[in-house]
Amino acid sequence: MKIQINGRWYEAREGEMVLDVLRREGIDVPALCAHEAVEPYGACRLCMVEITHEDWGGWKGNVTSCLYPVEDKLIVQTHTEDIIELRKTVLNLLLARCPNSPEIQKLASEYGIDTTSFVPREDADNCIMCGLCTRVCTQMGFNAISVAGRGYGREIATPLKEAPPDCVGCLACVKICPTHHIQYEDIGTTREIWGRQFELVKCKQCGKALITREFADYLIENRDIPADYFDICDDCKRSGTARDFKKLVHWEEKEEAEEEVSA
Amino acid sequence: MECEMKIDSPDKLNAWKEECLQKDAKLKKKVMVCFGPGCLAAGCREIYAKFEEILAERKLGDITLESFKKTGCHGLCEKGPLVVIEPEGIFYNRVRTSQVKDIVEKTLAKGEIIERLLYKNPKTKERVLKYHDIDFYKKQTRLALRNLGHIDPDNIEDYVMRDGYQSVAKVLTGMTPEEVIDEVKLSGIRGRGGGGFPAGRKWATCRGVESDVRYVICNGDEGDPGAFMDRSIMEGDPHSVLEGMIVASYAVGARDAYIYVREEYPLAVQHLYQAIDDAKEHGFLGENIMGTDFSLDIHISRGGGAFVCGESSALMKSVAGEVGEPRAKYIHSVVKGLWDKPTVLNNVETFANIPLIMNKGGDWFRSIGTEKSTGTKAFSLVGKVENTGLIEVPMGTTLREIIYDIGGGIKDGRKFKAVQTGGPSGGCLPEDKLDLPVDFDTLTKAGSMMGSGGMIVMDDHTCMVDVAKYFLKFLVDESCGKDVPCREGLYQLHKMVVKVTEGKASEADLQLMEHLSKYIIMGSLCGLGKSGPNPFLSTVRYFRDEYLAHIIDKKCPGGVCRDLIRFEINDKCTGCTACIAPCPVDAITGEKDKIHILDQEKCTKCGACYAVCQFDAIDII
Amino acid sequence: MKPEIDVAELKEIISHSPQKPSSLIAVLQDIQRKFHYLPPEAIKETSSALGVPLSQVYSVATFYSAFSLEPRGKHTCRICMGTACHIKGAPMALEQAEDQLGIKAGQTTPDLRFTLEVVNCVGACAMAPVVIIDEKYYGNVRVDKMKRYLDGVRDED
Repeated sequence: MKIQINGRWYEAREGEMVLDVLRREGIDVPALCAHEAVEPYGACRLCMVEITHEDWGGWKGNVTSCLYPVEDKLIVQTHTEDIIELRKTVLNLLLARCPNSPEIQKLASEYGIDTTSFVPREDADNCIMCGLCTRVCTQMGFNAISVAGRGYGREIATPLKEAPPDCVGCLACVKICPTHHIQYEDIGTTREIWGRQFELVKCKQCGKALITREFADYLIENRDIPADYFDICDDCKRSGTARDFKKLVHWEEKEEAEEEVSA
Repeated sequence: MECEMKIDSPDKLNAWKEECLQKDAKLKKKVMVCFGPGCLAAGCREIYAKFEEILAERKLGDITLESFKKTGCHGLCEKGPLVVIEPEGIFYNRVRTSQVKDIVEKTLAKGEIIERLLYKNPKTKERVLKYHDIDFYKKQTRLALRNLGHIDPDNIEDYVMRDGYQSVAKVLTGMTPEEVIDEVKLSGIRGRGGGGFPAGRKWATCRGVESDVRYVICNGDEGDPGAFMDRSIMEGDPHSVLEGMIVASYAVGARDAYIYVREEYPLAVQHLYQAIDDAKEHGFLGENIMGTDFSLDIHISRGGGAFVCGESSALMKSVAGEVGEPRAKYIHSVVKGLWDKPTVLNNVETFANIPLIMNKGGDWFRSIGTEKSTGTKAFSLVGKVENTGLIEVPMGTTLREIIYDIGGGIKDGRKFKAVQTGGPSGGCLPEDKLDLPVDFDTLTKAGSMMGSGGMIVMDDHTCMVDVAKYFLKFLVDESCGKDVPCREGLYQLHKMVVKVTEGKASEADLQLMEHLSKYIIMGSLCGLGKSGPNPFLSTVRYFRDEYLAHIIDKKCPGGVCRDLIRFEINDKCTGCTACIAPCPVDAITGEKDKIHILDQEKCTKCGACYAVCQFDAIDII
Repeated sequence: MKPEIDVAELKEIISHSPQKPSSLIAVLQDIQRKFHYLPPEAIKETSSALGVPLSQVYSVATFYSAFSLEPRGKHTCRICMGTACHIKGAPMALEQAEDQLGIKAGQTTPDLRFTLEVVNCVGACAMAPVVIIDEKYYGNVRVDKMKRYLDGVRDED
């Protein structure tokens, strides 16, 4: 099927969201709470677009493109005056929430907002409550962290604000966080995150820390991964393969050289 | 319950109804003690206990305790505790425990009327004997509220006697689901929870979705502060809700239905459980209802204390035991709702109307009200009116008729200032809008909305900025916090309105607030955020002067915002010392019979002295 | 000063509802009613009994106003802050109560005797302002009577 975006027609696939098409075609629409690894959530509202259709009798609406399924001949506008003003308002509000976040400052600046018009949060951290960390944690199957509370005081928390028993130290939350708010520390063979300490498995060859014991055990048990997979790190595995491959190549040369000598 | 058998045919239902009517006719008198929310707060339990106590000793001929009924909300809450004696309709107001004996000895035993317990018309000063003759009641059309005040909600026979479950018998044995939906469509009934979506169309869409399972849910969350219509129906006439749900479940093809009751209504849960048990016992719920192959179970799901769970997608999450976070409704819950199955969600009052529509026909229903808003609407009329209470009027009745003809006008001789409707999603309308008809669309055009039926009347001692602040605080507390415009935007909007009440805002702030409001409405995920700025926008629209007085003059014309008012004792002070003790900071000093002195330095403007003074001796400046 | 929790009693309460995720809110309400708050053991036991991840039970427990993770007082004083009550002076009643008990709304007195709460409309709007102390309703509350209501409860202790 085809949908029209900002005046041009593009291919769209059944079952995908408007944002998927925007991303594929490189149309720049911000979306802080969306990520291809997890289901869309619709919390940041930055990806809002205006939609209409020839069958709708002139009716127009504003929807979050991350959650709106494509339909044949849908007409989309990504940068109307109101949409831009909405994004500015959202970024202005986020800047009040996280005044010290470089990512928010940059994005806000792109929309012409350098300081917030609102009252900044006290003791502000860089969490924008996009929910990506909790959603990816659920996606991974651990459900270690979740959203606690309601309204302005809402926060990402561990159960009972104690070290989460279900966390395996996989760092998916760290990697997906758009403002790099979540902290962790690897020192020697210990990883510390969310108030928990994990033992890091080391490569038997080079000694580099690979993965937490808990995460490794989980993958081995639940994802059909051989028990000795984490004994050697990927780099060493690659070096080993390269060495073996080299041996094969040199072996031919060695045969030639030996033949010359015996000739 | 004398009737042991299951009612599995219309004939058996009619026979039972006859039995109940005959039994009832044997009671020469009936004493209805109102147990509605207002009367409960006013002490009706003690009144009833006193009747029980006296009748345990006193023989009153053919009047026994069987003649006494604990009913649901009779309506005129302002005058509670209410005791109504049928069949005459003798209407006793503000009954005190000490007066119960007199009622027994004089009225019940000898037929003598106790004048001072009768309603007094505030204009003519005349006493009125029967409630039917009071304007408050005369001008109403009680349909959804038809049984409130006339039956004991825990007694299914009372319900059956008044045509209870007749529509179930008619529909299950004589109509197809499609015919039921057509009748509901014909009636034109729109959702009474405030959304106003045509119920018939909703049911039709749900039925049209291919699915093995469908659900019906009754929204008993009634979160709007100031609204108690649904509470009254659930507590005072629970069977009417069940009956409506049975018809709906048959029409859409649901095997299980849920009533979602907010956590703050434990009595509603109690009465509903009793009604479900009784209905099941008599075969109106469970397997093979009315001898057909239609079966239904109704379950109760309790809320956890969250206004946002009145929103349909959040409500369904809550029923499933999850956090009540709404979701984008690009795919409607009627298609994918509870546990992703097609679900019909309707309000308590909507369901209470269904039996009437099925019994009397869609044409009859649409003959009441207006063309686009058919039928009647229940309202909780509260605030600064003479007659606060629970009312029901045809759609199209004007605000003026409701507030003045039924409500009796403004209390204490004060002036009307505004009427707030639609709860936190609605707005305030001023005096020049009083002739607007109340229906789904007119008030919305004026910047408010009819909403679920809460109607709060405000007098001149109200600050409209303070009202906006109040509603915004409520919404900030209740926002689920998912999306930025609602969570961050309403918080900032509230903060700025607070600044106005403190006299610290500028005109530029007002512009920023209006701009922010526009984009909160555009960007929010659900109705809470989308309508959140309404209390601010409607008050700024109609009472802009008041905002400017706070901003430019640093004054609060309504005499409410503490940073901008002073309390002063004037020369009407008689020196009665009544105001000295209530002052939490001991700011008032004075001797008996001498004018008291208020220390402005200490005064926290709490208003305790003002509330207590009987002589109008304290001014708010 | 948190009281000891009888885990057997806790498990018994949990077993009353169907042991599946949709019972979560009802189970937590039963526990809240019995213990006057949700002790940490309640979060953990409910999680395993109903098959809901611990983090999700915690989310639900912190989302809904009915639940408290801190012990609540023996007596609860609820002041209705619905619109009708607000315009009839509920904020004054709240102030008086806060003054009398020495705590703010949402808090419990250090001796665990009183919890002061605000509620958003209990549906008795015609009798505004409304105050509920334990299960008893007081309508048309006069600000100067707040102290008397609270003192009355204290005497019964």
